[in-house]
Amino acid sequence: MKINKIKFTIIAVFCAAMVIPLSCKKNFLTQTNTFNSTAQATFTKSQDVVALVNSIYDSYQNADLLKKSIWYYANFLSHDWYNDGADVAWNSYTINSNFAALSVFWNNAYIAIGRANAAFGIIATAKANGVVTPALADRLTGEAYFLRGMSYYYLAGTFGGVPLEIQEIPGNNGLTPRSTQDQVFAQVVADMKQAETLLVSKSALPAADLGRATKGAAYGYEGAAQMWLKNYTAALAAFNNTELTSNYHLLQDFEEVNEFDHQNNDESLFEIQFDLVAGASASWDGGWQNGGEEAWIDDFSWPHEISGFGYDYGNPGLWYSYAPGDRRKTLTIIGPGDTIQSKGIIAKWGGIKGYAVVQAGFAAGSQTYTGDDGKIINSCGSLKHPWYGDDLTRSGYYCAKKWRDPNLTGANGTSAIFGTQNQVLLRYAEIILDRAECKVRTGDIPGAMADLKIVRDRAWGLGLKGGSASPVDGAGNPIVQDGLTYDGKPTQPITDPLQMVLSEYRHELTGDFSLFYNLRRAGPGVAAAFIHTNYNTDNSLLPEPYPYGPTADGQLHGVWFTSLPAGHDILPIPQAAIGLNPNLKQNPGY
Amino acid sequence: MGKKLQIKNFVALIGLGLSFLLISASAYAQDRIVKGTVTEASNGLPLPGVTVTVKQTKVAAVTDANGVYSIKADQNSILVFSFVGFATQEVAAGNNTTLNVSMGADHKTLNEVVVIGYGTAKRTDLTGSVSSISAATIAKVPVISVDQSLQGRAAGVQVTNNDAQPGGSVSVLIRGTGSLAPYGNGPLYVIDGYPVSTGINNVNPNDIASIDVLKDASATAIYGIRAANGVVIVTTKKGKKDGVQVTLDAYDAFQSKPKEYKVLNAQQFATLALAQQASDPAKQFTVLPNWNNPSSLTEADWQNAVYRSGLTQSYNLGIRGGNQQLQSATSLGYYDQKGIVEGSFFQRISLSQNLDYQPKKWLKSSTSVKYDYQNSNNPFGTGSLGQLAQLPPTLDGGSNVTNQISDGKGNYGFYNPVYTYVAKYTNPLFTINSNRYKNINQYLLANSSLEATIVDGLKIKTNAGVNVSGFNGYFFQPEDDRLVNQYGSLAGSTQNALYTQHINSTFEWLWENTISYDKTFGKHAISFVGGVSEQENTWSGMGGSGVPPNNTVMDLSQDTGVKLDPNIPGTNTGNGENIYSLASQFARLTYKFDDKYLITGTVRRDGSSKFDEGHKYGVFPSGAVAWKVKQESFLKNADWLSDFKLRGSYGEVGNQGSIPLYQYQELYSYGSAPVTSGNLGYPFGGVYQGGIASIQPSNPYLKWETDYQTDIGTDFSFLHGDLTFTVDWFNRKSKDFLLNVAVPAQTGYLTETKNVGTMNNKGWEFAANYNHAFNDFHFGVGLTVSAIQNKLTSLLSGTTFITNPQGSPTGAVNLNGNGWPIYSETNIGQPLGEFYGYKSMGIIQTQAQINALNANAAAKSGGAVQYYYMGATGPGNRYFADINGDGHVDASDETSLGSPQPKFFGGLNLDGSYKAWDFNLYFYGVYGNKILNYEESNLETYQNRGFVGIENISQEYYQNAWTPQNHSNTYAKIYYNDNSYGDSVPSSAWIENGSFLKLKSVTVGYTLPTDLAKKLTLTKVRVYVSSQNLFTITSYKGLDPEIGAQGGYATQNGVDNGTYPSSRYFTIGLNVTF
Repeated sequence: MKINKIKFTIIAVFCAAMVIPLSCKKNFLTQTNTFNSTAQATFTKSQDVVALVNSIYDSYQNADLLKKSIWYYANFLSHDWYNDGADVAWNSYTINSNFAALSVFWNNAYIAIGRANAAFGIIATAKANGVVTPALADRLTGEAYFLRGMSYYYLAGTFGGVPLEIQEIPGNNGLTPRSTQDQVFAQVVADMKQAETLLVSKSALPAADLGRATKGAAYGYEGAAQMWLKNYTAALAAFNNTELTSNYHLLQDFEEVNEFDHQNNDESLFEIQFDLVAGASASWDGGWQNGGEEAWIDDFSWPHEISGFGYDYGNPGLWYSYAPGDRRKTLTIIGPGDTIQSKGIIAKWGGIKGYAVVQAGFAAGSQTYTGDDGKIINSCGSLKHPWYGDDLTRSGYYCAKKWRDPNLTGANGTSAIFGTQNQVLLRYAEIILDRAECKVRTGDIPGAMADLKIVRDRAWGLGLKGGSASPVDGAGNPIVQDGLTYDGKPTQPITDPLQMVLSEYRHELTGDFSLFYNLRRAGPGVAAAFIHTNYNTDNSLLPEPYPYGPTADGQLHGVWFTSLPAGHDILPIPQAAIGLNPNLKQNPGY
Repeated sequence: MGKKLQIKNFVALIGLGLSFLLISASAYAQDRIVKGTVTEASNGLPLPGVTVTVKQTKVAAVTDANGVYSIKADQNSILVFSFVGFATQEVAAGNNTTLNVSMGADHKTLNEVVVIGYGTAKRTDLTGSVSSISAATIAKVPVISVDQSLQGRAAGVQVTNNDAQPGGSVSVLIRGTGSLAPYGNGPLYVIDGYPVSTGINNVNPNDIASIDVLKDASATAIYGIRAANGVVIVTTKKGKKDGVQVTLDAYDAFQSKPKEYKVLNAQQFATLALAQQASDPAKQFTVLPNWNNPSSLTEADWQNAVYRSGLTQSYNLGIRGGNQQLQSATSLGYYDQKGIVEGSFFQRISLSQNLDYQPKKWLKSSTSVKYDYQNSNNPFGTGSLGQLAQLPPTLDGGSNVTNQISDGKGNYGFYNPVYTYVAKYTNPLFTINSNRYKNINQYLLANSSLEATIVDGLKIKTNAGVNVSGFNGYFFQPEDDRLVNQYGSLAGSTQNALYTQHINSTFEWLWENTISYDKTFGKHAISFVGGVSEQENTWSGMGGSGVPPNNTVMDLSQDTGVKLDPNIPGTNTGNGENIYSLASQFARLTYKFDDKYLITGTVRRDGSSKFDEGHKYGVFPSGAVAWKVKQESFLKNADWLSDFKLRGSYGEVGNQGSIPLYQYQELYSYGSAPVTSGNLGYPFGGVYQGGIASIQPSNPYLKWETDYQTDIGTDFSFLHGDLTFTVDWFNRKSKDFLLNVAVPAQTGYLTETKNVGTMNNKGWEFAANYNHAFNDFHFGVGLTVSAIQNKLTSLLSGTTFITNPQGSPTGAVNLNGNGWPIYSETNIGQPLGEFYGYKSMGIIQTQAQINALNANAAAKSGGAVQYYYMGATGPGNRYFADINGDGHVDASDETSLGSPQPKFFGGLNLDGSYKAWDFNLYFYGVYGNKILNYEESNLETYQNRGFVGIENISQEYYQNAWTPQNHSNTYAKIYYNDNSYGDSVPSSAWIENGSFLKLKSVTVGYTLPTDLAKKLTLTKVRVYVSSQNLFTITSYKGLDPEIGAQGGYATQNGVDNGTYPSSRYFTIGLNVTF
């Protein structure tokens, strides 16, 4: 009887225990993520809403996007610059739709657009809830409009029409087809107009916000987009807005424009910011990938002999095309026998001769690092031994605009590969030249000539020691004339006003992020004809020996004379994007 | 009864359970006493614990420690002698009052009890597909982890040592690959009733009593959402009900240095470099000044310096015993392995305690506690070891202190930092010896149950447990200023010291309540179990790193630049806490009619916190039938056939094991630290500001992966059970496997985790066993063969193929640094993880040949393409196939190069004994798989690759490379910059047949005669010698063809990127029973 009682008790307790797991709290299966949070849980502080907009800028801190897509397009397509390495297809205009960097560009641009679209709603909610002040909400909304508009600007400029995603749609499957190029630029105009009203003026931008979009930058892109739409009057109105004309100025010395210690200068409308964050490495383990605060953009352009890279190099014809007295020449492109002009590089290294690889190479008796005078070399290759790179496939000429960061050494010496030099997407000199084109288009030739002269006088160093005003004819109009043709022959002055502007685009903006965009914008066939005029291009698909100068040794040194084929003035939509969205139609000819 | 309880014998669990029931019942009156000794036929030793019953009565006795029994039995009685593992014998008592019996091992497995999840069943009554491995089998080959002992022992279970590093990981695939999630194909392990999600690395193999592998959906369905990859049920040794047994198992194993790649010595290497320099048209390739005099160079034999012979010691002490009410099993294990690569080791201390207590006939409790401490390190392992063959074989011209790898005085040579064709700093031995590491893992698994019998056959049970584990470890890299000291700051900067410390812990609890009912009504028998279960797992971790003030202080609070480190071992989530939970109900009913027809139905409903509201619960049903044909009248008396059963099952089971948490939510992230590329912030005014962005779109429809599996099987045996066969055919369709797939960027995201596709695994499993005793000679053969065909059957639209993991997710085999981002690609209709690259057709022999190919390329492309492959391609370069026929070889000509999955695999076990001697031979083999010999591609290129510098090449390549005089069609010409020729890209040149047959183990043992053992006051003493990996038959050119899935990704199997090799072990061991 006693046993039965114990047994009964234990079994009763058992039975009670059996049911406990069944009746356990209902939310047992609802666990909270403590590593990431939902939108609702995230944006409860003003600084977090700011951080949301910061992440849109972050999409642009990417070398594949900036260098291998926008810079390549702006410069390789003009034939002023070439690629060496895996991307040589650009040299013969045979870029295919699998070119990986195009996917990165496409992806990052749409991620920026997606982040902007999401930001509008979140900022509005934060404003309504008093999380951000109305003024901050306006500024942030303006930045989101600006960055979305800018993304569409470069997408349409590069690919033609692209799909327009202009609102956040929950469950968006991303299958929207392409709009026309004009529809996209119209969206750029609309976004920039919103940004113009919402952003702060450069004059009111606190130092701590340096690098953020301003009203002036929005007017600059709006004007450029209006030009794509051939609304030249509207473009002029944008370019003449006091936000631009009062707040931005040409630097006196062209040398300073790209200097490392002149970042975010008075000429710069918008530049992608880079920075060396405490604890970051500039060596091999540094920022190869998306989003890093430093990038490999600049020293990859340096000669292989210095950096171990040499992945892009110049067309000797560009070097010859600069007119005598044009100080931009060796500040843009340097070749055999040219010393480096950058004050920053000279201050740090004493010139090319200061790099460890040069010193070690010279010590080892290498002719590569021995100057024409038999001393340690201080020029970008010697006339006897131009720097053709390890496999002799480069032209011997390199981009001096990208050789400014004194901290970098390339893969040699301390292996400082990753740099923090900002990438200037739009500067005031371009606005002035854009304005000149608008004036040509609207019949104001004197106005156009005056604008050209502003830019050219700075190029000739007016007001600088040893400088002068740019050459003018008897009427005071600029004499726009190349130094020599690509093959060393004398030239004639350019008299057609539009061609004068195009030539000035080339000599001012080559090596920046604009040139070919502006050439294509000028109209169908204009770019191809311009390149043909400069380089006498033909139907060849292979490099040819260079015909003139110290590098004319009859060998191939990576100079192509391929004509720009019809339809290849825009790039193919990335195949990966078409694979994921079958509604995207490829550009003809790809 | 009291007297019987005092018997201090060993009694096997099952036999004793039976005898216990018999003993406790009333007995027939028997007048006469029959006595005798039971001995073991194989060695004549007394056999304690044998149950002796009088047939058709409840009279029973058990042999004592000396094998002696005494039982009341009349002249007409038949005595039944039974003992687990031995053939039951029936002997007529007759007029004898002394009856000595010799018992032989029983290889008839039909009556063995199989653990099937929340219960047990007799093998003969199984309806599902279950393979079992006994402690005796596990003991045959010394292994460090339990899963290794499954290799080749269970049909349908593919076990691969991913590499041979001490404590290295093992991949276990039961019936193929059903998931693409990293580590998504491992089975569920259930240790003494506790389902663990983290594998069984923490269980000492010496403690295992049996392993039951549940394979088909019917068998596994009771584990529902965790069952798709099969279930491995591990039962550890328990105390016997009578007496006490003390055992000591010890062995020492000597491990030889591994096979080495035959590469050029310093003289050959420098001679080659000089020849390359002389023939370099660009005059870019220059040798180091010292190399100009090859005969003066100091040899740097990296393989010799870093490989060594290894030593393993293993000791296990067990005390197991008890009485009728209380049984205890205590064990202590110590394992210490010094690996064959400098700096590698694995140390383990394990403690185990099992306690079973039955205070009342209707009430019993069971407790199992396992603690495991592991200390290990592998500073230079798989993926890095390839460097040893690749590094230039001389250090001359680097350090001005020593040109040796190590001069024995604490100085280590290094390469010239100025010379671009060597990698500065690289000296693996310096890295191994100067860095300091600690990696301590501790595991505690404790589980208690209480079971009450309400009425006969009706039981309720509650089971609760905790599973706790923790990691703590550090990494210390001292400051390195050698380069600056010698060359000044221009050459580089001092490499800062680094100290990193990580800690993480997991706490998991489980509570399960079950009710079961087993009853026989005439010809009808039912067996039911149902229950509820809850389990919750909490992980938390933290890690930090900083620059220590000197090379002693490791206190993070004194370091500079201290930051949290998100890469904490065990997860990639970050510094913080993660919780997931599971709540379930389950039931299984088996009905048996007339001992001929069986039907089983199982269902489990699992609720999981990994999915969104409305999708949390999954129901996993299964059913099975079995027909015991042998029991039919037409076969019952067929003497030639001992047993014959047919089985069939179908079921649906789930897989959620490796699905990350919160995949269904839209998530905003603050990004990673500003120094890393994953940050979301941006600098304004020169000051970095943080960013926040949505990193994952919401996917509320996300659900678990589901497997639909059909199994048809048969078990039959002959020769009175000496010869048994099991054959199964299965078809496993895995649906909705999860993958993070690319989505259009227009969504604002690049990838999204979705249920994307289906995969199919079907195949055959065959197991045969033969055991027989010929007088003193006992002989056994065991064979398992499995053939599994795997293929991807569908993918979500928009996704057409799956590659190996790209980028650098944790665990990815990343060969990107050498231009090999993609080396495997799986297409619909093809097996998973097929190698992908160019098809090599030999070597281009003449200029005319390449001219013709180039001309064809130009003609077919209308002049747009001028070359067949590369501009520089000429005689001596590799000739790749133009698969798409456009005249030009480019990425679009890459194609499938074969599958790393074997066509079949299996194990062959031979064992036997003669008097005091015993032996065992164990072979394991795979057939029909391919290996990507990435290491060979390195040994056939003189390229300046990665962080190695100009790579050393193999002797074979050096002797046989193409030259204008030697027109090899296998080996391309040697050139210092292969990038311009592209000979060493992913191609069929590096794909090799991976088939092999390995003699995994051979053992010879000798058991001391009983008399001698007794003199030593021991019951049994066995000494043995054994050798592992004595030989491997293979055509594979690398060091070891046994290559598994690194990093747990199913799409990167079979890649030999410098795998930690296996080598021969020579073991001497001792088993003592006190």
